[in-house]
Amino acid sequence: MNMSTEVAQGPLTVLIADDNMTDRMLLSSIVRRQGHSVITAGDGLEAVRVFAEQRPQLVLLDAMMPVMDGFAAAREIKRLAGEALVPIIFLTSLSEEQALVRCLEAGGDDFLAKPYNQVILAAKIKAMDRLRRLQATVLEQRDQIARHHGYLLNEQRVAKAVFDQVAHSGCLDSPNIRYLQSPYALFNGDLLLAAFTPAGDMHVLLGDFTGHGLPAAVGAMPLAEVFYGMTAKGYGLQETLREMNAKLKRILPVDMFCCATLLSLSFQRGIVEVWSGGMPEGYLLRGDSGERVPLVSRHLPLGVLSPARFEDRTDVWPLAVGDRVLLLTDGVIEATNADEELFGVERLLAALGERNAQGEVFDSVLSALSAFRGEYRDDFSMAELAMVQPDYLKPPALIYSDSGQSSPLDWSSSFEFRAETLKRFNPLPFLMHMLQEIHGLRPQSGALYSVLAELYSNALEHGVLGLDSELKRDARGFAQYYEQRNTRLTQLDEGYVRLHLHVRREGEGGRLVIRVEDSGRGFDARKALATPARERGLSGRGIHLIRQLSQNASWADDGRSAQVEFAWEQQG
Amino acid sequence: MMIEQVDTPHVDHAVLQGLQEVMGDEYPLLLDTFLSDSQARVAQLHEAQNAEHLSMAAHSFKGSSSNMGAVQLARLCSQLEERAKRWPIFELQELIRLIDVEFANVQALYGAERSRFAA
Amino acid sequence: MAVTRTFSADEKDLTIAISGRFDFAAHQEFRDAYERVEHTPTRYTVDLKNATYLDSSALGMLLLLRDHAGGDHARIAIINSSSDVQKILAISNFNKLFDIS
Repeated sequence: MNMSTEVAQGPLTVLIADDNMTDRMLLSSIVRRQGHSVITAGDGLEAVRVFAEQRPQLVLLDAMMPVMDGFAAAREIKRLAGEALVPIIFLTSLSEEQALVRCLEAGGDDFLAKPYNQVILAAKIKAMDRLRRLQATVLEQRDQIARHHGYLLNEQRVAKAVFDQVAHSGCLDSPNIRYLQSPYALFNGDLLLAAFTPAGDMHVLLGDFTGHGLPAAVGAMPLAEVFYGMTAKGYGLQETLREMNAKLKRILPVDMFCCATLLSLSFQRGIVEVWSGGMPEGYLLRGDSGERVPLVSRHLPLGVLSPARFEDRTDVWPLAVGDRVLLLTDGVIEATNADEELFGVERLLAALGERNAQGEVFDSVLSALSAFRGEYRDDFSMAELAMVQPDYLKPPALIYSDSGQSSPLDWSSSFEFRAETLKRFNPLPFLMHMLQEIHGLRPQSGALYSVLAELYSNALEHGVLGLDSELKRDARGFAQYYEQRNTRLTQLDEGYVRLHLHVRREGEGGRLVIRVEDSGRGFDARKALATPARERGLSGRGIHLIRQLSQNASWADDGRSAQVEFAWEQQG
Repeated sequence: MMIEQVDTPHVDHAVLQGLQEVMGDEYPLLLDTFLSDSQARVAQLHEAQNAEHLSMAAHSFKGSSSNMGAVQLARLCSQLEERAKRWPIFELQELIRLIDVEFANVQALYGAERSRFAA
Repeated sequence: MAVTRTFSADEKDLTIAISGRFDFAAHQEFRDAYERVEHTPTRYTVDLKNATYLDSSALGMLLLLRDHAGGDHARIAIINSSSDVQKILAISNFNKLFDIS
């Protein structure tokens, strides 16, 4: 966009209006001699008519004229000129201050006294012309800016439409989510995504890209695709984070990055897994005690570190029904009022403390902000996620993109994942992908994924890593458990998890048998089965869940081997 | 009623010189225009019906006279313009007569100037 | 907003001082400070004693400097940050990339 459009200098067309023929003739000669072309009028009315018809750039106007005097003519000419500056120089021998004031009030820009001084006239014409050209340049640039602004708004509209298509597979309208986001948040760099995993867990991302406008929006699209794609396939938070970071690192310029908080809410297990890089604190709000646990940013934002140096450590917290997680962008803390004060963390914490009944945290923050600012604005993003009963939410059925005709119905497969692989590879998405080829099994995908995930995590954590499931009894033990998990996994150098899958026909349908073995020390499965679910709380190996969701669940080899079955009646 | 009589020249020749330079070939035409235009203006002074018309007519005549270098004439017109705003018309007749006289001088002098050039 | 730079006697250390608001307006000057050099320094120091404000574009500029100075092998210290500035750097965990004091 070239903004250096300046209106060029050149000879002008000058209108000379004077009722005195002698003066008119003389002035016309003087002005022509200065290189301009001249048109004339003998009274005010004629002056206005000639102006309207020929649109001269400059007007020399006698103040005292018959029919319509100079003042009235000047007002009318200024009106006709509109936004453009047409300088009017009054020709006058009026010396009284009053008369001169009248000239200015009528819209006159300067005076020329009689007898005419050519030097002075030339100087005035030059000065007035400079102003005229300046005004013309300003108007032209203003129009250019307005045009470009129009193009920009249109580009943003298109970008948003494309993005909305990418983002459509989300579940932000789930009943356990409350959120606030401006329709054009994307162009502030704000991003809020939510999606179900095949097991019925919920992944949520609140992101804040550096920059504004299209540069901020453009990074959001690849990020959203990775988030939705991997979540749908059953990848965990850490794998998804690694991919998102790698993608942004690759495609964004060095000085651009995305601050983000990612959550995985597991309703079945009653936990939330959190990763935060560069975002202001989120808050875990306990429903019963009102306790507030800050979720602190431990990491660099996404897109800064290379894949080799990226840190995917997450924090895990127990979450009971009625507990909530509140996430917000820095637009909340940095909101300013008319006195340029910041809303700040103290006011936010006060607003959080004020809630006294279910569901009012969100509203109390919003009203505190509106009161502080004196108006309602939506230039920030905020999301509140509630922990609910496992069967409360109804994740949508998975959509398959194949023809549904071919399905493998009689096969077996075995895998052994050893230490090096266990450290860095999550086999679940890969296994699910294979199992989803069995069409008859698809309606049970959710249960299948949950059971597989539970079996695998038991085998890995309690079996291979030797973690004590009893640790997860209280919040402190919880933190300890996950810390130990990270440490032991990093240090792991021997051990295995084996998976055996066996599929066969059965009548019109079929049956899948899954056996999972680990190299750990085993456990007393009978005792665990005897303890009612209520008493165990968060600890335990999810054995009841496995039994609930699958058929013929059994444990052997001192608990080191678990077997479950899934059956279906029709081929799909 | 004092009418100021000062020893003012009738014509400023420097102005005429300047006019000739500016107008070039059209200088004689300017002189012609001034002379015929002025005659009409003098008539206007006599025919003025009220103080406002008289003041405006005097104002206009003052303008062209001063532009053309008819200094004395311009000065008299200026006085008339001022007084016409305050004095009753019948008291201005003497001043108008003086303008008639001065205009006769101007006619002679500018006519002579005009005749220096071919018709 | 002003950006000033000083070299050590052996030209191996470059100190860049920011005063006023460290935001996008400082972009060109900041880059010029470390790009337009005759000898490439081995160590960089960013002095924020007089910096009143730091936003995400400033963080981006620090990343650009780090990239210019060798990425993971860069040696960059950020000194004299006020408590407000330190808070911003802490939330972004920039202490993992820079030596902050």
